[in-house]
Amino acid sequence: MIIFALRNFKVFIRDRLAIFFSFLSVLIIFALYTLFLNNAWASALPDNVVGGQALMDGWLMAGILAVVSFTTTLGAFGTMVDDKAKKIYKDFSSSPLKRSSLVGGYIISAYLIGIIMSLFSLLFLDLYMLIRDGHILNFMQTIEVIGLILLVTLANSSIVFFMAIFIKSMTAFGTVSTVVGTLLGFLAGIYMPIGNFPTGVQAVIKVIPLSHAASLFRRIIMSDLTDSVFLNAPIEIKDSFLDVMGVNFAFGDFVILPWMQILYLVATAVFFFGLSLIVVTFRKER
Amino acid sequence: MDKILEVEHLKKYYGNVKAVDDISFYVEKGKLFAFLGPNGAGKSTTIDIICTFLRPDAGTVRIDGQTLGKDDDKIRSSIGVVFQDGFLDELLTVEENIKYRGSFYGLKGKELQAAFERVSEAAGIKDFLKRQYKKLSGGQRRRSDIARALINTPKILFLDEPTTGLDPQTRKKVWETIVKMQRDSNMTVFLTTHYMEEASEADYVIIIDNGKIAARGTPYELRKKYASDSLQIEYDNQAEIENILIKNKINYTLHNGQAIIPLKTTIDALSILDIVRPSVKSFEVLSGTLNDAFINITGREIRE
Repeated sequence: MIIFALRNFKVFIRDRLAIFFSFLSVLIIFALYTLFLNNAWASALPDNVVGGQALMDGWLMAGILAVVSFTTTLGAFGTMVDDKAKKIYKDFSSSPLKRSSLVGGYIISAYLIGIIMSLFSLLFLDLYMLIRDGHILNFMQTIEVIGLILLVTLANSSIVFFMAIFIKSMTAFGTVSTVVGTLLGFLAGIYMPIGNFPTGVQAVIKVIPLSHAASLFRRIIMSDLTDSVFLNAPIEIKDSFLDVMGVNFAFGDFVILPWMQILYLVATAVFFFGLSLIVVTFRKER
Repeated sequence: MDKILEVEHLKKYYGNVKAVDDISFYVEKGKLFAFLGPNGAGKSTTIDIICTFLRPDAGTVRIDGQTLGKDDDKIRSSIGVVFQDGFLDELLTVEENIKYRGSFYGLKGKELQAAFERVSEAAGIKDFLKRQYKKLSGGQRRRSDIARALINTPKILFLDEPTTGLDPQTRKKVWETIVKMQRDSNMTVFLTTHYMEEASEADYVIIIDNGKIAARGTPYELRKKYASDSLQIEYDNQAEIENILIKNKINYTLHNGQAIIPLKTTIDALSILDIVRPSVKSFEVLSGTLNDAFINITGREIRE
């Protein structure tokens, strides 16, 4: 299983174009932010606020970290779809390699790729913030972020795996990747803060697991920055900022706490892996 | 006689299409066995079933004492398959490909290395081990596929149209490699083909058409039974020779200025030549080919 995972990993890594496309939505977010959104928001902040820029950069970082493991695992599972489309699995199933090792190998390699790409993004964004704002995540934040990357990648890869087992051709897979990759940024409140959407859409955003991943990343990354930016501001302004930006989530008066979000992500992973397992096991043999 | 593969009453239908329609045969250990038939005859379907990839609708298959459907994992460990299209990873090198696939059989470390060196030698791929599979020529790809199929030292090697799509020269070389490998290792080789030249080199041939076995035997037996030798005479005067042939009740056909006379044995040509001698300009005696046998059996020439 491990060696099969290594094979999948290598097949993906050699495919430069696949890597580029799996990063595409991240690049879109980054470009959108640096070219348009950043200026709009920075000018909206009061002049006397110190650290506003870093706060917005932290928001960007959290959004990217939430989405990157989704799109890169999607790219990684492309190997599985390709094996199906090119009938390479015929070769696998003529060998004594177990079905479970096969499925496990795909998941492990995708998970690994998701984590590596997330860590790579973390490093890049940390440098970006350091250069622009002279700010960098402290040790505890870094540890927490990495821990969260492990969990979020697990949840994301479970959803992606469930999607990928139904796709039989690379063309279909490409289309799904593009559509999902583009929509995801909106649906998880990453291209635009959740507060900019109408209430109906906000409710949808709050159901999507990825939004909670983004929220958790924001909580970790933006905590010290918000404290310093809103040091002299009334508490209501700070709270409303946190709500608008999707740092804190609430359904009406019910405030969602971080542990609930973590639980939600764990449940997502269990649910989708479980469902996939059922589909893979009971799929009709020809 | 040792049977390594036994197939009984195998059936696979796709709706109304009878891809494999109740076929039974066996393969003897250490032999080169050929499945000859046009495209769509059911050759690949049969191979897919035997290699545990497709489930048959009915029938039993035993490979080296293991029953298909019950001991699939044991069967998978003891077979090697070269599929019609190569199934190695385009972006990986030949060496990476073969070693990864080798690990599917539980091979690792020195054992894997030894197996790898053995198959690279046997398949003649040593010159391009470090090259990516997608950058190889057709012949090199096919050799790599063969090396991959040999990695687990299979007891029986299946080759599905191993030389199709290669240019004639490469085809000949790949074919020579297969035959040499089979003779050297005394491994059982089961191949499907639609090339007569290849089938005629096999130890045993089964002709399959429309999902059914149309004929079977050694190439010699098939020629003997289904193809006749012939005497071809070039003549000066058509009326004259026809006159003699009709008078002596000898069957003949005319073709391109030649009279073609079917023979039971080549010796029979002598007595006929004595009779028609005055009108013979030149002659040749041709022995029947497997191609003639094939046409007589299936009623048509093989489709490309």
